[in-house]
Amino acid sequence: MRFKTLNPIAFTFIPTLAILPVAIQFFKGMHLGGVQIIYEFLISSLTPSLNTLVVQSAWEGIQITIAIALLSWIVSILVGIFLGIISSDILWLTIGKHIWIGKAFRRILAIPRALHEVVWGLLLLQVLGLTPWVAIISLVIPYSSLTSRVIANQLDTVDRKNLIALRQTGASAISSLATTMSPVLFPFVISYGGYRLECAIRGATILGVFGLGGIGTELQLSLRSLQFHEMWTSLWMLAIVMLVLEKSLDWGRRSIFAIEGYTSIFLYMPFLVSVIIVISFTWLHYLDINLFESLRFHSIYWPSLQDLYSAFTGLPIVKLIITTCLLTLLSGGIAIGLPPLLLLITNNAIAKEILSLFWLFLRLIPPPLAALIFILFTTPSISVAALALGFHNMGVMGRILKENLDMRSDYLYNAINSTGASNNISWLYGKLSLESKKYLAFASYRIDVVLRETAVIGVVGGMGLGWQLQESLSSFYWAEVVVITTLFIILTLIGESISDKARRYWQKNTSDFSLKPSL
Amino acid sequence: MKTLLEVKGVSVINKDKYRIKNITFSIKEGERIALLGKSGAGKSSLLSVSNGSLPPSEGSVKWKGESLKSISRKQSTKIATLWQDLRIIEELNVAQNVNSGALGRNNFFWGLRNLIGIIEKSECINCLSAAGLPHELIASQISNLSGGQKQRVAIARLLRQEAELVFADEPLSSLDPLIAKDILMLFLARSENNIISIPQTYLISIHQPELIKHFTRVIGLKNGEIVINKYTNELNSYEIDSLYR
Amino acid sequence: MKRKVFLKLFNLITFLLISHLLINNKTVFASEFLTISAIPDQKPEKLNRLYNLLCDELSEKLGTEVVYKPVTNYPASVSGFRTGDLDLVWFGGLTGVQARIQKPGSKVIAQRDIDAKFHSIFIANTNSKITSIKTLSDLNSLKGKRFTFGSESSTSGRLMPQYFLQKAGIKLTDFKGKVTGFSGSHDATLALVQSGSFEVGVLNEQVWLSSIQKGKVDFSKTKAIWRSPAYADYHWLAQPNLDNRFGNGFTEKLTKTIIGLTKESPRQRKILDLFGAEKFISANENDYNSIEDIARKLGKLK
Repeated sequence: MRFKTLNPIAFTFIPTLAILPVAIQFFKGMHLGGVQIIYEFLISSLTPSLNTLVVQSAWEGIQITIAIALLSWIVSILVGIFLGIISSDILWLTIGKHIWIGKAFRRILAIPRALHEVVWGLLLLQVLGLTPWVAIISLVIPYSSLTSRVIANQLDTVDRKNLIALRQTGASAISSLATTMSPVLFPFVISYGGYRLECAIRGATILGVFGLGGIGTELQLSLRSLQFHEMWTSLWMLAIVMLVLEKSLDWGRRSIFAIEGYTSIFLYMPFLVSVIIVISFTWLHYLDINLFESLRFHSIYWPSLQDLYSAFTGLPIVKLIITTCLLTLLSGGIAIGLPPLLLLITNNAIAKEILSLFWLFLRLIPPPLAALIFILFTTPSISVAALALGFHNMGVMGRILKENLDMRSDYLYNAINSTGASNNISWLYGKLSLESKKYLAFASYRIDVVLRETAVIGVVGGMGLGWQLQESLSSFYWAEVVVITTLFIILTLIGESISDKARRYWQKNTSDFSLKPSL
Repeated sequence: MKTLLEVKGVSVINKDKYRIKNITFSIKEGERIALLGKSGAGKSSLLSVSNGSLPPSEGSVKWKGESLKSISRKQSTKIATLWQDLRIIEELNVAQNVNSGALGRNNFFWGLRNLIGIIEKSECINCLSAAGLPHELIASQISNLSGGQKQRVAIARLLRQEAELVFADEPLSSLDPLIAKDILMLFLARSENNIISIPQTYLISIHQPELIKHFTRVIGLKNGEIVINKYTNELNSYEIDSLYR
Repeated sequence: MKRKVFLKLFNLITFLLISHLLINNKTVFASEFLTISAIPDQKPEKLNRLYNLLCDELSEKLGTEVVYKPVTNYPASVSGFRTGDLDLVWFGGLTGVQARIQKPGSKVIAQRDIDAKFHSIFIANTNSKITSIKTLSDLNSLKGKRFTFGSESSTSGRLMPQYFLQKAGIKLTDFKGKVTGFSGSHDATLALVQSGSFEVGVLNEQVWLSSIQKGKVDFSKTKAIWRSPAYADYHWLAQPNLDNRFGNGFTEKLTKTIIGLTKESPRQRKILDLFGAEKFISANENDYNSIEDIARKLGKLK
């Protein structure tokens, strides 16, 4: 098959094709009617509101956001590691050969990933009411299951030779797994976990939904009322936090990895974790958010089969699914394809720094705000939604790609460069080619996120499952909510099994495990 | 002498092709066997089947009369392997790697403690010095070691396992000839006076026919089948040459 | 050696923090407090000012602690009311009805003077060549245009306009591209129609008028084409159990306090100004019967 001759590096660029139809549609509808308001938006960045009340509530908001994010983050990492381990093939292969258990866990864990935090929050709210725990749990649910997928895949791609060797000496399954896997897992968790913290902070902007305040409340309200000066007060504060976080995590990671035999830091992990938990509890306590209140459970309405059936037949299912898939593919294409392309064409250090600031900006702007900005330039279409979602996620993908490339050594790049190849070509062969498989793995996780984020991009109207879900939730039509969430879950499962197959295919290409050794 | 390992009619089939075919031999206590053959003759498959890491497609392998598949963990600690690619854990330090040879004798918590810091230091040092490494290296990261030093760490780990039978897959191929001989001698030296117990029985695949004088027996493989199985002193050079033809 | 010191330090910090937390934990359960909230359709600075003032005013008059919880999502504020986490909420017409249906026995307390006869304004971009609408059937001229509502749960930005469109025989798929936009808010609707991205939009009359006042409307680009018939909109909705929790007659006292806000006291004047009202008037759940019917017809109530 032709397909088989394509290598991963080609696949990192293929997604850019999505930009073509999107750009065509965008420019076809382009107009200048929105220039004035975009100008206001941009110029307001220089004059954010310094009104005491605004600054004060933004300051309190960012603290709540950070404290909740910290708590949800650490819990989701811990739960994610545990779930990741029990959903890996290698665990079950080693202890008892029932690989199907790991597979089953992986499939079940796709369910939490399929729904957006806000949707989880609104569902949990029905049961638990407006408590801070709803916010925390609804962040932890999708995040820990995403982490578990990444961890499980990481564990399953570790070379099994060392494990086989230890098993052969008579070491127990669990001892040999711990000895061979944790030295790989540990540094991975450090870098991946750091990156998740920023995601948690961005995710915690949904806290406003649950009456917890936070910077997201300020952002959403000022977005609704188009108060750009007030919006920029919050955006700048968030930007500073994200920048400080990015730089300090970078520094932290480098200094941990610089320690000889950093695995001994294992020892401090439980302490570090408990300190983070205690800090966030204390902090929230001072912000008047009480986590010790007992939970009350509320009865919920369960739709009957009859209701479900009529909800199912009442919805234009095929159209919804097609629009959702199209939107996901276009946004995913932009998010995945553009970062390597942009890095390829910017070949000096300063340009690359500017690019990473640009990516920070893209991550900072929530997709609904991005959609509003784009739609002021052009007529509404699926391309606007795709651009908004795509650009936001491009910020994430770009950061991951650049960080991983920066950690690679330059020797191959220099070797190719010394043969007289241009900087761009040397970068392509000497850097990107080494990273492309890992990048594509992250890309496949990101597609999940894009799919569930289609639920929060409503401005273009009537687009796909995500919008329909918002509409059903706001009508409290639970039968419809069940049908649509089920469709989300099915789409996620299909998407994941495709990307799993692709990954397995690339892995097979590199390490030919023709003989199946017993573990 | 007691028979340790008995291989009977073993074949390994991969993608409808025989890697090794109908292999039968046994290893008695105290034997030092050299495994010879061209690349692709099936040496690695034979070793993997013999140490139990690869289940045979046909035939049986028995350890002390018991099927290798069903032996207890305690019994599998008696079989050690020095892998061609060493299979030491790059991210850990020397002591942790050496101690990982003793995981089979210890419980899970011992394994965890080993991950966190250096434990049972004196036992580690004994194994290191038996493998010819200075004890200062005990806390070094594997990634800072030279190729020869890594090989010695692998040997130290193997000694830490306190096995009865040792398999080694071309342990010398990646080393320069002088060091290679050094290592082989270290491996085959029967030092009576050592603090640690050194395994007495070996099956080692090698590429250098001139080294067979250090072994008691030679098994020669060609196209997956045994063509030589003789004591070293009964062997003539013509037979060995035919292996590589 | 160094490691041991580190460990001890960690232990110490953890211990101190935990003990501090346990000793210092305020008992929040001791006294009941009244939680108020509002659907999120104001600018944040205004919301903060407004509700701080209102909390102070109500605490003083009622003798109970009053806390404001900002909820930034329409369905979430309805659900928060259902689960009893919000005691008194400033709802829109639709959300109020939704909340009342989900929590039977809730009491409609008051509305603003302007809410009894509220209107939506249809606006059009001047380039769209859409002329003023005289009768309901003239709405048919909007077919095939790019059209946007505000938020999907808004009464004035979505529910009532959709009802009038339907009465004129226009389906949501009759607009350009067979879809309608949902700009998310009244202000966004205005901005998007003004920019030309949407040709027609519909928003709350109050927002439209205050935007004109603030000079945000560019009449060379936007014009109002139709003022919808009147309907009842925003109102205060209270939990059924307030009397049990705060003492007999509490709900009545609360109603009187809200209705009794006048422009004479400086603080009350500020509150009324921020609400955009002259005064609050008493309201009855029957005022919202037609909203309920329409919501059922349009599938926003099940």
